[in-house]
Amino acid sequence: MSTFLARQSPRSRRVTIGMVVLLVAYLASTFGVANGSYGTQSLVLVAAIFAILALSLDLVAGVTGLYSLGHAGLFALGAYSTTLLNSKFGWNLFLLLPLSIAGVGIVGLVLGFLSLRVSGLYFAITTFIFTLVVVVLLSDFSFTGGLQGIAGPVFPDFPPGLAFLGSSVAWCVGLSLLVTIVIIWSIRSSPLYPVLLAIRDAEPFAAAAGVRTSVMKVGIFGLSASLAGLAGWAFSFLGFISPGQFSWTVSVNILVMVILGGINTRLGPIIGAAFVSAFPVVVSIDPFLQEVIFGLIFVVVIVFFPQGFMGLVGSLARRIRARFRPTAVVVEAVEDDASTPIAYAHLAPQEAVSTTRALPAVDEVALAAKNIVFGYNRGVLALNNVDMVVKRGNIHGLIGPNGSGKSTLVNLMSGRMSPNSGTITADGVRIERLRAPARARRGVMRTFQSAVLVRELTAQENVGIGLYSRFPGIAARSPIWPLLMGARRDSRAIAQKSIAALTSVGLSSGWATTRVADVPHGVEQLTQLAAACIAEPSILILDEPLAGLSSGEVEQVSEILRGLKRAGVTVIVVEHQTRFIFEMCDEVTVLAAGELVTTGTAADVRANERVREVYLGQ
Amino acid sequence: MQALDIAGLSAGYGRYDVIHDISLRVERGEAVALLGPNGAGKTTVLRAIMGMIKQRRGQISVLGTDVSRMPVHLIARGHVALVPEGRRLFLDQSVEDNLRLGGLHLRRDHERTERLLESVFELFPVVERYRSRPATALSGGEQQMVAIGRMMMSDPDLMLLDEPSLGLAPLAIEDMAQALITLRERGRSILLVEQRVDLALQVCDRIYVLSGGRIVEEGNSENVNADGRALIDAYLG
Amino acid sequence: MLQVLLSGLSIGAVYGLVAMAFAVVFYVTRVINFATGQLLMVAIMLTAGLSKAGLPDWLSISVGLTASTAAGVVIYFVAVRPVLRFDRFSFAWLVSTLGVAIVLQSAAAIIYGPTSQGFPKLLNRDNLVIGGASITLQELLAIIVAVVAVVGFEIFRRRTLFGKVGMAISSDPEMASAIGARVTAYAVAAFAIGGLLAGAAGVLIGPITYANPYLGDTYGITGFVALMIGGIERPAAAMGGGLVLGVLSVGANTFIGSQASDWFPFVVVVVVLLLAPHGLFASGDALKRLASGIGRRTATLKGAN
Repeated sequence: MSTFLARQSPRSRRVTIGMVVLLVAYLASTFGVANGSYGTQSLVLVAAIFAILALSLDLVAGVTGLYSLGHAGLFALGAYSTTLLNSKFGWNLFLLLPLSIAGVGIVGLVLGFLSLRVSGLYFAITTFIFTLVVVVLLSDFSFTGGLQGIAGPVFPDFPPGLAFLGSSVAWCVGLSLLVTIVIIWSIRSSPLYPVLLAIRDAEPFAAAAGVRTSVMKVGIFGLSASLAGLAGWAFSFLGFISPGQFSWTVSVNILVMVILGGINTRLGPIIGAAFVSAFPVVVSIDPFLQEVIFGLIFVVVIVFFPQGFMGLVGSLARRIRARFRPTAVVVEAVEDDASTPIAYAHLAPQEAVSTTRALPAVDEVALAAKNIVFGYNRGVLALNNVDMVVKRGNIHGLIGPNGSGKSTLVNLMSGRMSPNSGTITADGVRIERLRAPARARRGVMRTFQSAVLVRELTAQENVGIGLYSRFPGIAARSPIWPLLMGARRDSRAIAQKSIAALTSVGLSSGWATTRVADVPHGVEQLTQLAAACIAEPSILILDEPLAGLSSGEVEQVSEILRGLKRAGVTVIVVEHQTRFIFEMCDEVTVLAAGELVTTGTAADVRANERVREVYLGQ
Repeated sequence: MQALDIAGLSAGYGRYDVIHDISLRVERGEAVALLGPNGAGKTTVLRAIMGMIKQRRGQISVLGTDVSRMPVHLIARGHVALVPEGRRLFLDQSVEDNLRLGGLHLRRDHERTERLLESVFELFPVVERYRSRPATALSGGEQQMVAIGRMMMSDPDLMLLDEPSLGLAPLAIEDMAQALITLRERGRSILLVEQRVDLALQVCDRIYVLSGGRIVEEGNSENVNADGRALIDAYLG
Repeated sequence: MLQVLLSGLSIGAVYGLVAMAFAVVFYVTRVINFATGQLLMVAIMLTAGLSKAGLPDWLSISVGLTASTAAGVVIYFVAVRPVLRFDRFSFAWLVSTLGVAIVLQSAAAIIYGPTSQGFPKLLNRDNLVIGGASITLQELLAIIVAVVAVVGFEIFRRRTLFGKVGMAISSDPEMASAIGARVTAYAVAAFAIGGLLAGAAGVLIGPITYANPYLGDTYGITGFVALMIGGIERPAAAMGGGLVLGVLSVGANTFIGSQASDWFPFVVVVVVLLLAPHGLFASGDALKRLASGIGRRTATLKGAN
């Protein structure tokens, strides 16, 4: 332990010590509850179970943006399967723990797979109907005890030697909540967290970084469902279970807990769960009046404090912190170029660059699109029989008037769409049928015309998303991330590389820690560029990287492109600013109205009559 | 009195403005082009004039009426009409319904509505032929005509067009340019955002060049044509 | 068989009216008013209470319908508008309208007590026998009201300028306001029509169910299920879903067992959602558009040049 602590930086040592203190306090309070009065126990245990549910819902709703109303149904499956399999078939309760977690998780995967065919509101609705169906089935079968419900199994007491610990059920629930907190908080501190936020807010960006977004969404929903199953398992020991305890209003209540406490926060769901479950007990008035007040609280909170309790605390904290922090952070002046050379190379170890990319064969083809045909609907073709061959290590320009099909071609090359016919090869491998994440993993990365990043994350965290495909097993390791030595090392590596990547595009460390919501457009564009560069792509596609940049920033981008070229990266640039294109590019392809006009060197293209006609309007 | 007089307009979406301290004017009966690279803030200027951006500061007046604090639907009632980027027709409704919706605030003035409808059909005979078809069945060029027609139907003091040439075939672009020239000749005031410099110069009397959210050049079309390419170079980078 | 069809259509008409109440609001505002069932309940409770107090039936019914209409508008201003002003694409209305539902339901339980009360019999006394099947006049009235509502709404939507503006707002609210449409006014109207339709459903079903504060919950859910079966996109589709659901439920009761209508709707909706995720009568993909609208949110916020 001591060597372990010694190896850590002072800050992370403080965090570790803090966590240990918290853990001890948590266990102590569990001990307190386990020896407390019956009233305290039933209040706290119910609140704790709802905290598990609220935490698991926040993972899908708050973090991943999937508003599930199916959690009451999943919760019910956990509770009923435990109860029925134990009381009717005599299965062991501790065997049922992994079974109900896995079983409900699998149901969640299936439900997620089916409902994620349609996104957004429809997801909420299908999961809502799932809860309705589960409750109806539970109410209408005598097997499940019908509307009256059924008595839950009795949780075995501690052996006499451990009897001083108090109620075993309290420990069971307390530890279940602890496990949930560990899992959820670990994910929140892992590099998966920014990725999930990107799936929520900037799905194309996530896909372009190599994240298989739909698989990830289903997986996260499955994890959340299995935690609901855990909550159900623990809940069955609290006494009678009946369909009324799992009705759709419970689903909504869980969502309300999350929003009340503060959506997408560490503590919010727990606070919300405590408040909502304690409310009827603490405020004991006429039950109907109580319900009225309860409903009013929903409305008032949503209308006046949409960020919930933690949001309130957070904005207060930010206001206080803002007083102690200088507000103006300025982009490093372009004049500094000489003193801060663009250093893409240091992103990749020097030797790697020299072995794999140092001496690219001049005529080797990096990416080739042949005979591409694509139409959005049955109507007009956006691209008609277009060829584009990009040589390795070149900067290749793609120009054409608006609507000529440039963006379509970029989307086809990067995998957002697949062509109707034609082939695309990267490094000699056919890729036209691969989806965007698969192409990203093959080293074909892209940026978007107007950057859509995760606004609530810092520039550095956004850039780190670009490394998702370069660090294996981020998703699998995330539930216990901070407990893994290698994972912590990876976290540090990601942070260092992100900062280095931001520096290499000319953004000072001041910007790295600023939320993207608070940066100007130019910085956002450069951040996006850094996120694409950080994964060391072999082919980088830039869709109008200069859009909205000032002339100083344009110079900056030129410098970055030269750096990428030196590092052996093949770059495809779509751009309107022809001066930039002709100055930077080795070759230029011109499209007009979905057809290829010409491909050639900048000088050839500039001299081409048809190019002047269609593009320059002369 | 100017058709449009903007003074010190800044507007944006988050903490940072997209356009800064824009001042421009459109005289009555004048067609003015707003050029600039993608991302320069051209669309933001149009959206700010139309009231579609809440976060805006500065003065915007249309024929002497201050619209800088008016809600969108009031600005739309006779002051300003917009052909947005991508046309944004009401696709599930007929061409004629789309046009009549453009003249929504004139619904009690049947005669004027019919007259305006006639003038749209006169300018775009093809639109009259397709008047009962759903808008979604039209080609891009035809849809653009309907969008311009919808704009004309409100009989606005000022017409705003956002990249009307986008996605149109060369012939359709030529037709559309002719229509804009006709509108200008009829004394309409136009502010045109365009990517195609040739088109902008063909249609407009004066141009502004926007870059990085600021106006960096201003001049009139003849000068540009005579002077050579200074302005265009600035625009094309 | 004919009996099943007639009874099914009459109860389906009530489901359909509730589903339409959901759909009209959704059509214009892209919001699902989860207190729709409680609006039905408001109309029932007020009508029952007033008629018990001695008012003539027609007056009680008018007051009941007015109240549910007004309550719809109040919901818009209290629970929906502030939420959408904060974030046009958020789903927070889901929670706030449910909050209103809880408030209305519990308030009714406080005022009228949680048990069932009498409701004026209205036309439920008289029977009509058609080809061996009997139907009360009240049930017949339900079918007629449903037909009038759906036909009237469709004519209104397609033929009047007001309806066409509604269509425009439905497909592109921002562009609609840029041609001078007052989007807020249309949203208010939609919530009012929603309240009226739900209230009408309440008055039609009241003589059969009697007045109970928890009716809102039952009919709200069934109406919502009908909405999902028919398709949320178009109010007419919602009515279709209601009728299909009504006939299937009565059929299930007749041919499977007396309790079958408790769970049968859910089986139907699951099958429908598996086969046609957007509903049986959906033509467009409003929700897909909504979803992509959410995706676009960040783009419009920041990306627009």
